[in-house]
Amino acid sequence: MASCLDLRAVVMRYGAGPGAVNALESIDLAVEDHEFVTIVGPSGCGKSTLLYLVGGFLRPTAGSLQLRGKEIAGPGPDRGIVFQRYSLFPWLTVRGNIGYGLDEQGMAKAERDRIVDEYVQLVHLEGFEERYPRELSGGMQQRVALAQTLACEPDILLMDEPFGALDAQTRRILQDEVRRIWRRDTKTVLFVTHDVEEAVALGTRIVVMSARPGRIKEMFVRGFDVGDGEEFEADPAFAELKLRIWRSVKEEVEAARA
Amino acid sequence: MPLLTRFLPIAVILLLWEAVSRTGYVNPNVFPPVSEILLRWVQIFWDGRIYPPLWDTMWRALAGLTAAIAVGVPLGLLMGRVRAAEWFFEPLFSFGFPLPKIALIPLYVHWFGLFSLSKVMLIFTDCLFPIVLFTYHGARGLSSVYLWSAQSRGTGRVRMFWRVVLPLSLASIYDGVQVAVVVAVLVAVVTEMVSGGGGLGELMIRAYRFGDVRTAFAALLTVSLAGYILYKLAQWLRGRLLFWHVAEV
Amino acid sequence: MRIVPLLLLICAWQAAASFGVLPKTLLPSFFDVAAQLGAHVRSGEIFGHTAASFARAGAGCGIAVAAGVALGLIMARMRAVERAMEPILLMIYPVPKPAMIPLFMIWLGIGDFSKVAVIALACLLPVVVATFNGARSVDDMLIWSARARGTSEARLLWRVVLPSALPQIAAGVRTAIAIAIIVLVSSEFISAEKGLGYLIFSYGGVGADDAMLAIVIWLAALGYFLDRGYLAGLRRVMRWHAFAH
Repeated sequence: MASCLDLRAVVMRYGAGPGAVNALESIDLAVEDHEFVTIVGPSGCGKSTLLYLVGGFLRPTAGSLQLRGKEIAGPGPDRGIVFQRYSLFPWLTVRGNIGYGLDEQGMAKAERDRIVDEYVQLVHLEGFEERYPRELSGGMQQRVALAQTLACEPDILLMDEPFGALDAQTRRILQDEVRRIWRRDTKTVLFVTHDVEEAVALGTRIVVMSARPGRIKEMFVRGFDVGDGEEFEADPAFAELKLRIWRSVKEEVEAARA
Repeated sequence: MPLLTRFLPIAVILLLWEAVSRTGYVNPNVFPPVSEILLRWVQIFWDGRIYPPLWDTMWRALAGLTAAIAVGVPLGLLMGRVRAAEWFFEPLFSFGFPLPKIALIPLYVHWFGLFSLSKVMLIFTDCLFPIVLFTYHGARGLSSVYLWSAQSRGTGRVRMFWRVVLPLSLASIYDGVQVAVVVAVLVAVVTEMVSGGGGLGELMIRAYRFGDVRTAFAALLTVSLAGYILYKLAQWLRGRLLFWHVAEV
Repeated sequence: MRIVPLLLLICAWQAAASFGVLPKTLLPSFFDVAAQLGAHVRSGEIFGHTAASFARAGAGCGIAVAAGVALGLIMARMRAVERAMEPILLMIYPVPKPAMIPLFMIWLGIGDFSKVAVIALACLLPVVVATFNGARSVDDMLIWSARARGTSEARLLWRVVLPSALPQIAAGVRTAIAIAIIVLVSSEFISAEKGLGYLIFSYGGVGADDAMLAIVIWLAALGYFLDRGYLAGLRRVMRWHAFAH
């Protein structure tokens, strides 16, 4: 079976001449269907850039990015993205935001409302349908962003440090939600984070990136299932994997500072 | 971007204007070529005709502005730091700010006469509003930390205004002054257009009566340039006065 | 509560007039002015002038908003248009707009055309600048978010850029309304046969201070309620936006 997403020798350079910045250098990565791939690395390593390339917002300097065998030419609803900063449309209600992508596909109102209700339930926002983003907490806003993205039924879900701006407790709860939704729908997910614990708790495969210029340094496959609850945290295998990945990331953080 | 290409659009418009007005399809007395307007502009500076009205307009604007600063800054500071003053004045100034003070020209003429005094008083009135409101917001929004810090070092209530509140409000006061500079020139010209008494405003109205577009245009250019220079001067002065100020985000 | 200082001021005015501290020749009493206002409203005379004034201001401001929003949006999204327009706008910026009244009277006559044109020109700049700044500062993430959900480049303007810029546009229009009234009154002082500015000026000219002040108060009240009404309308239409205050 072909991969869902296939990146070959992707290079990204900002600017030209002596002032140019090499953000990414020769990235090769294949993501299979139903995989949950997390990308960790020091800040500035180009992990968000990688996600924006897959999103089609940026064009690579060299290399190829293919989704289901087709070259990525620009943004599209087949790749849903959740940003770190709240990117909801402030002038639309929760319902309007979740239904935005469906509207853009020209879906009839009744059908749209049915799907929106379904996603409202999925992310536990019943009763907040008519609220505007400014009336919601940061955690709730990210739930809406998640529902807005899922409602378009993308082939792959791109998440750019989606919980980075949330407090630690809200973050934990949303991580559980994302894992629950992924286990239910077995979506394909590409998830960028700087938090090693988050990367291990969510990803079936964890990619560690090097300090700039960003390269794929190491990959770890999480060989055990974490289930729906939080019992996995007591699992020595989880602690051990977390530690190994942290040591790998720490080297890069220190290299970046040097 | 080089200056030349930047101002290309203006050059194109001016050339087009020149060309159209020289084709003979339009009445050159109503719509004269740019070159003739510029020529007139140079001429009125050369023969000195422009200086008396320019001086009238500018001194009125500056006198009104200065009076507004002298009255408005203390009043705004008081409103910002004393409850009773805030209670009484804040609603009056907030209410009056968006209203057209220009409508008071006939009343002011009645009170202060047809000549300069009524004009200066109206400029003063109109400038007072932005200066008071900006000063008030500046003095009100001060971080208490500065006040506490001064208090604990023994600064008394009255000295506090001079030593702490005024310097800390200066940036905001200056924003008000910059708004007032624009208002002052505008009101000066309008009062001169409406009630005469010399100045660039009257010069333009007279040019209109004689159908003299060239002079009307030259006077308009002069007012605009004078207002612009005044505004830039105020901006430059800001950098001088507020060199220690760090813009807060 | 905020009206109390204003009422106090009016009471002091009336008291000063009643006790003879303030001679009638200097300032008529508040009651006289109020009576004049009542008489003007009862006779209906004031409404024709009000309509004439607001038709001028409304037409000028309306043209400025329509043209200004369109121009600001296009400038923000198209580099070439921005480059062409920017120096022209910079050149018009320092011109005190009421000072253009004499020129426009030569070009378009002393009727409504010249007044509407000057008002439109004066209101145009704040609207263009506000729209441009609003549209230029739209968060990239919002645009990306819309693009990722299938919004085309052409629809982006309507679906994302315009609503994003709306709070700033609304503020620009509010400034424009205040400017429109100032330019309106100035132009009606200089030449008019009808309108509130004309009425104030002609009463002032014959020394009928009570009637003149009645019209000034009427104009101020209209301006105030127009501004309040506009803000209240915005709050209703833009419930999603967190307004200051």
